[in-house]
Amino acid sequence: MIYKSLKLCVLFLFFSLIQISTVSAEADLASGKALFKAKCASCHNKDMRSDLTGPALGGVEERWEGRDEVLAAWIRNSQAVIASGDKYANELYVKWNKSQMTAFPELSDADIESLLGYIDGKWKGTYDTPKKEEGAAGGTTEKKNNLPLYGLIAFVLAALAIVLARIISNLNHMIAVKGGASDAVRPGLFESIGGKSFVSFLLFGLVIWGGYTTVNNAIGLGRQQGYAPEQPIKFSHATHAGAQKIDCQYCHDGARRSKHSVIPAANTCMNCHKAVKNGSQYGTAEISKIYASVGYDPTSDTYIENYDQMPQDSIKRVYQEWFKSQYLKEKSLEKLDRVGEDLVETQWSDIVTSLTGPQKKKIGGPIEWVRIHNLPDHVYFNHAQHVTVGKVNCENCHGKVEEMEVVGQYSPLSMGWCINCHRETEVQFQDNEYYNSFKIYHDEIKKGDRTKVTVEEIGGLECQKCHY
Amino acid sequence: MKNQKNEAWVGISDKTNDPDLIAQIDKEFVELPIVDTLSDEAAIETPANRRDFLKYLGFGLGAATMAAGCDAPIRRAIPYVTKPDTIVPGVANYYASSFVDGGDYCAVLVKTREGRPIKIEGNSLSSVTKGGTNTRTQAAVLSLYDTNRVKGCYSQNGEEMTAMNWAEVDKAMGAKLNAGSRILIITNTILSPTAKKALGEFTAAYPNAKVVTYDPISSSAMLEANKECFGDQVVPAYHFDKAKVIVSVGADFLATWISPIEYAADYSKNRRIADYTKAKMSRHIQVESMMSLTGSNADNRILIKPSEQGAAIANLYNEVAALAGGSSISAPAINADAKKGLKAAAKDLVNAGSAGLVVSGSNNVGEQVLINAINNMIGAYGNTLSFSGASLQRQGLDSAIQGAISEMQSGSVDTAIVWGANPAFDLPNADKFAAAFAKVKNKIALAYTIDETSALCDHIIGVHHFLESWGDAEPKRGYYSLIQPTIAPLFETRQAEEILLRWAKSNNLNTNSDQPYYEYVKNSWKGLAGGFASFGSFWDNTLHDGIYEAPKGSSASGFSGNVSGAAAKINKPVNSELEIEFFESLNIGSGKYANNPWLQEVPDPVTRCTWGNQLTVPTHWNGSNDYETFRGIGSRNAKSHGDYVNMGIKGREEKVSAVPQFGMMRGTLGMGIGYGREVVGECGAGIGTNVYPWLSIDANGNTQYYATNVEVSQIVGREKELACVQYHHTMGLTGSKTGSDEVINVDEEILAFQGSLTDRSIIRTSNLDELNKTVPALVKERGHHQYLNDQTLYPFDEYSEKLYSQGHHWGMHVDLNACTGCAACTVACMAENNVPVVGKTEVHRHHEMSWLRIDRYFYGDANNPNTVYQPMMCQHCDNAPCENVCPVAATNHSSEGLNQMTYNRCIGTRYCANNCPYKVRRFNWLDYTTADLFPGNQPHINDEKIPFGADNLTRMVLNPDVTVRSRGVIEKCSFCVQRIQEGKLTAKAERRNLADNDVRTACQTACPTQAIIFGDVNNPNSEVSKRIASDMTYQVIEEVNIQPSVNYSMKVNNRSELIDA
Repeated sequence: MIYKSLKLCVLFLFFSLIQISTVSAEADLASGKALFKAKCASCHNKDMRSDLTGPALGGVEERWEGRDEVLAAWIRNSQAVIASGDKYANELYVKWNKSQMTAFPELSDADIESLLGYIDGKWKGTYDTPKKEEGAAGGTTEKKNNLPLYGLIAFVLAALAIVLARIISNLNHMIAVKGGASDAVRPGLFESIGGKSFVSFLLFGLVIWGGYTTVNNAIGLGRQQGYAPEQPIKFSHATHAGAQKIDCQYCHDGARRSKHSVIPAANTCMNCHKAVKNGSQYGTAEISKIYASVGYDPTSDTYIENYDQMPQDSIKRVYQEWFKSQYLKEKSLEKLDRVGEDLVETQWSDIVTSLTGPQKKKIGGPIEWVRIHNLPDHVYFNHAQHVTVGKVNCENCHGKVEEMEVVGQYSPLSMGWCINCHRETEVQFQDNEYYNSFKIYHDEIKKGDRTKVTVEEIGGLECQKCHY
Repeated sequence: MKNQKNEAWVGISDKTNDPDLIAQIDKEFVELPIVDTLSDEAAIETPANRRDFLKYLGFGLGAATMAAGCDAPIRRAIPYVTKPDTIVPGVANYYASSFVDGGDYCAVLVKTREGRPIKIEGNSLSSVTKGGTNTRTQAAVLSLYDTNRVKGCYSQNGEEMTAMNWAEVDKAMGAKLNAGSRILIITNTILSPTAKKALGEFTAAYPNAKVVTYDPISSSAMLEANKECFGDQVVPAYHFDKAKVIVSVGADFLATWISPIEYAADYSKNRRIADYTKAKMSRHIQVESMMSLTGSNADNRILIKPSEQGAAIANLYNEVAALAGGSSISAPAINADAKKGLKAAAKDLVNAGSAGLVVSGSNNVGEQVLINAINNMIGAYGNTLSFSGASLQRQGLDSAIQGAISEMQSGSVDTAIVWGANPAFDLPNADKFAAAFAKVKNKIALAYTIDETSALCDHIIGVHHFLESWGDAEPKRGYYSLIQPTIAPLFETRQAEEILLRWAKSNNLNTNSDQPYYEYVKNSWKGLAGGFASFGSFWDNTLHDGIYEAPKGSSASGFSGNVSGAAAKINKPVNSELEIEFFESLNIGSGKYANNPWLQEVPDPVTRCTWGNQLTVPTHWNGSNDYETFRGIGSRNAKSHGDYVNMGIKGREEKVSAVPQFGMMRGTLGMGIGYGREVVGECGAGIGTNVYPWLSIDANGNTQYYATNVEVSQIVGREKELACVQYHHTMGLTGSKTGSDEVINVDEEILAFQGSLTDRSIIRTSNLDELNKTVPALVKERGHHQYLNDQTLYPFDEYSEKLYSQGHHWGMHVDLNACTGCAACTVACMAENNVPVVGKTEVHRHHEMSWLRIDRYFYGDANNPNTVYQPMMCQHCDNAPCENVCPVAATNHSSEGLNQMTYNRCIGTRYCANNCPYKVRRFNWLDYTTADLFPGNQPHINDEKIPFGADNLTRMVLNPDVTVRSRGVIEKCSFCVQRIQEGKLTAKAERRNLADNDVRTACQTACPTQAIIFGDVNNPNSEVSKRIASDMTYQVIEEVNIQPSVNYSMKVNNRSELIDA
């Protein structure tokens, strides 16, 4: 009885395997591609659009006006067709300076059919990517169905394992009984599969799974896409870059000439904020932090002398006076009310918490912004290369900053992300004399064999472009 | 065997096929002397067991989990409050300035990033140093961040130091300095005209003050001789570029003597060969007793004992006089070989006439007068040396400091101000100085580091480093150079000149100004230079250029030396069995640079030893197949052990480490000056042996840098950690077969036939006369190599055509004939690329990290060999053996021909280093850069409290564009890829073709002789392409088809058979 069930299992397994192997048996355009590569690609351009040693093959069937047998004969032996006096064949022969096409007598009708199919598909763009290739190959969309299949295999294997385990334990039991052990008890299902090997197998599986998960998660360590920390000053890019349309490089003036885009110095802020003293969102609260950083007295419109030696109480007086006057002006009051007093107090304490820290005791001095884009130390990135030379727009990497109230990291800043962009981005090749040294590419562009040069093609994926 | 032209060797071990060495070469990573270590440290006896392993594993997992669970630290981005207009964060600024330390001078450009100096380059506008540098100049940027710097003002009472502020100092000095008090200001040579003006104001305010100038490595006798002969107490201007025959009697003018950068640049002009069919080069004859760097570059060396130097000069004088028709003088007898050699040399000199030049490092007045007389006889004055534009780089008189010692001894000195000098260390009678100094009532040190002298002072006043200072220099008459600060003072220090002016209560110093001395210098220059329309624009231009040159003539009269009187004054040969020559060491100098670890770690070019001064002892061929060394020292030193001997001179006996050295006179020893500092900071303390007490003073009061009647014991012990790199990373050499004269590859005999590896093409040499034979032979041989390489199955042409033929392809050319081995490039490379310092122990274990080493090979006559220096760095092979073996593709090739090393991908298998035929890959065995989490991995290089480089002050020198490597990764020369990328970006941004000047590697810019040229080989008009096209170019080990990108040119010597005979 045991053996019977085993047989059944094996049969079942066999059939399911056969089923898997037949799924991708049919092939026609794929073999056409293989044939094209093997036989045609040395003379005919694989884009089917431009000429090489031989003419572009796109639309070849139309050109032969559907005379498929003649075309097939031409492919097998063009000279024979020319000798037969075919008009189009002779014209073609003369047009291409009487260069002979290699004969391929070994090609079968099916071969030629699939070859022409591939050429047509490639030309019309229906045969573009490997994904479409699978689709065009007429097979099933097996990728989506993989999971149940694996589940099935797993189930079958598990069943097999249990069956085998049962067999072994039963045989052991039989030996024990034959050996005269009268007290032998036939082991139960769980006892028979709970052996050492099973546990170690389970452990092995766990380790593999654990390692896989760990690696996958470790890759993400240190990446902080979407990181949008609170800054010491609630600076709004939406207001400055969005509503006011200030150019990015007005403040980030390093981007065009340095590796760093540079966070602007407080005196850059003062260019405008000497005049703009009340913000649209936070009133005096946030802009006063700039004043407190550089030591500017907005009441008298002067920079405070010896500000770095000024005691905190005096600084407090200056800015509280300013908050008070602004509040009174806004509310048209003569004297501070309770709300006003609170406001003056909170705005001051906000300045203190924003501009001081464990390392920095003084209010005056640089504003310690929280750095959002952190590349590892072994990565070299240069803004000037991308902004000035590559003419990459800021938003390509930083997103729509002009819509961000609080700026966050838009891109993953992972190596894969960098590499991908280098693969796709076109080099500003034509109007920059520097690239003259790439003679081959220039020649190819001139001949029309090439329309663009990507960063990858001038070495943009090489390690020491970014790591040194 | 005496003269084997085809043989090149490093030392005795490879010449004699020492099995130890062969075994060592066999292994890429030399077996570490673990047995030695274990016997020293019992703690290591217990090996790690399984439980330990599990413990560490558990800890590791726990730590990783914790690290993963923690939030990433918040990083801050802190902008300026008010951004200076000139600074763009991320972009380097260069400021023209001058490196000045005593008489050492170099016009420099200082590279600063975000306001801190990180690299020093030469200023090519200067016609003195011509854009070259040397090791000391390159390393000066690290001394700015020396942890031993004086960080303010202190009063010192015994061991106790009390900090003072400037107001207290000025007040205290006001009380102590009186108009009548006797004040001595003790300094080394001062090059600055403005500083001299300030000293003038000080001596005017205190009429009893006197400035005492001396130089630890003195040219005192030359100054006196020139005063006697020409009435001008200066060092003349030497024009080595005009000299066709140079005879140097003990002057190490390419390494240390007076103005080596200038001399090396001039010298190399006549040593290069552009076209071998019309080859001409100068002949350089060095008369010396030990092998100096200059001697190693010479064509012929005439060996004498140190005490024979005077006799050699007198003999040379007589030989020249005999040919030129002068009267002879009484000359003491000299060894027969030297006599013959000098006769031939004299003939060359007289034939060269005014294109001859004789120089001498002698510090004996009589000898220097005779040198002047010889130059005068051949008519050299006005051509190869002159008094117009005379050098001011040595101004100190030995008699001055000796006089000062006597005066202090008498107790009549009220105040002594020691400014930038260290007489308590660098005088032959430093102990006498210290005793006399103690009698001075008020002792003040104006110093930027604590040294032996400031330790004796009552007040230590911190002064600026030159990179924080304003100032000027006049290294040669009329050649002015400005010093400008490149960083705000790091500590509470002041400019020394300003301190003196304040104490002198000068009216010309505007003490209310932000930078009083800046205004003072500016005002001083108004008087100093003339002929400008507006001073403002003149000043701005000069400050930009860094130099202002208006060569001045000289008031020197014609030669009027008393030759026969001089002959009587020369040092006479002494009949002593053993004599010793003391030489200024290339890197440490007089001892000033001892606390600079870069300079400690750069090998001495000749002995190839680091971290200490070794006694060099002669090695000679014994006539058969072996080499005998003095007392058998180091005859088997492949495994880097030194032998200790006890050396006694004048009753002072010291245990010193000794190594054998080729090319030394029998009965002569050599030893470097400047080591053995005691009060110098953690890095340099106790390194090497102090030789100053062994120097003597002659009848004229001049220091003599040799000693006779030296007693040396038999070997008394073994220095376990001799840090000598001569057999590190050796590439395998040709040697001679045991028992015959047959030239073979040294590892061929043991390792059996190596295929094409035998007959390795590492070094190519030729005599000038034979170029017509050797160069065509080289071309033919290269053609054969090319043929063999073409037989490869590797599809190299495919890469060549598709990848390397467009864009850039970087290449380098090293002219072995121009390279003097000065090692400036090595230090420049360390500074540019954040190459870590590893310390003596690690160097001993073959773990030095330098990306660029300078291999030194001897060739020719075993007893008096010629030398070739070969800078060796990653050759960026286009068919690189290292790339194929990396399991993780951490090293691979770029389309620009760079052999890329990606640290973050490297897992440390070291296969690449194992497979590199040039041995240029370096592995971070320990956490040398102190970037690691675990302090146990950080080496201490000289028993410091915290590892070198862990200090935030020291870390300021790091180049922010280069990754600081951590433990467990391989690193190597990157062709300064950061500079390549920067240069390309500049060209791209300016939308123009890349020019040769856009990309210059650190080694290239450092080189005083332009021996190294880097550039784009794909550009046929680049300098490097033109040089590679020369028939004298070859590539090292090119026959194995690894397609290196670095090219060398054949070393040519102009050795005269007549001088040898």
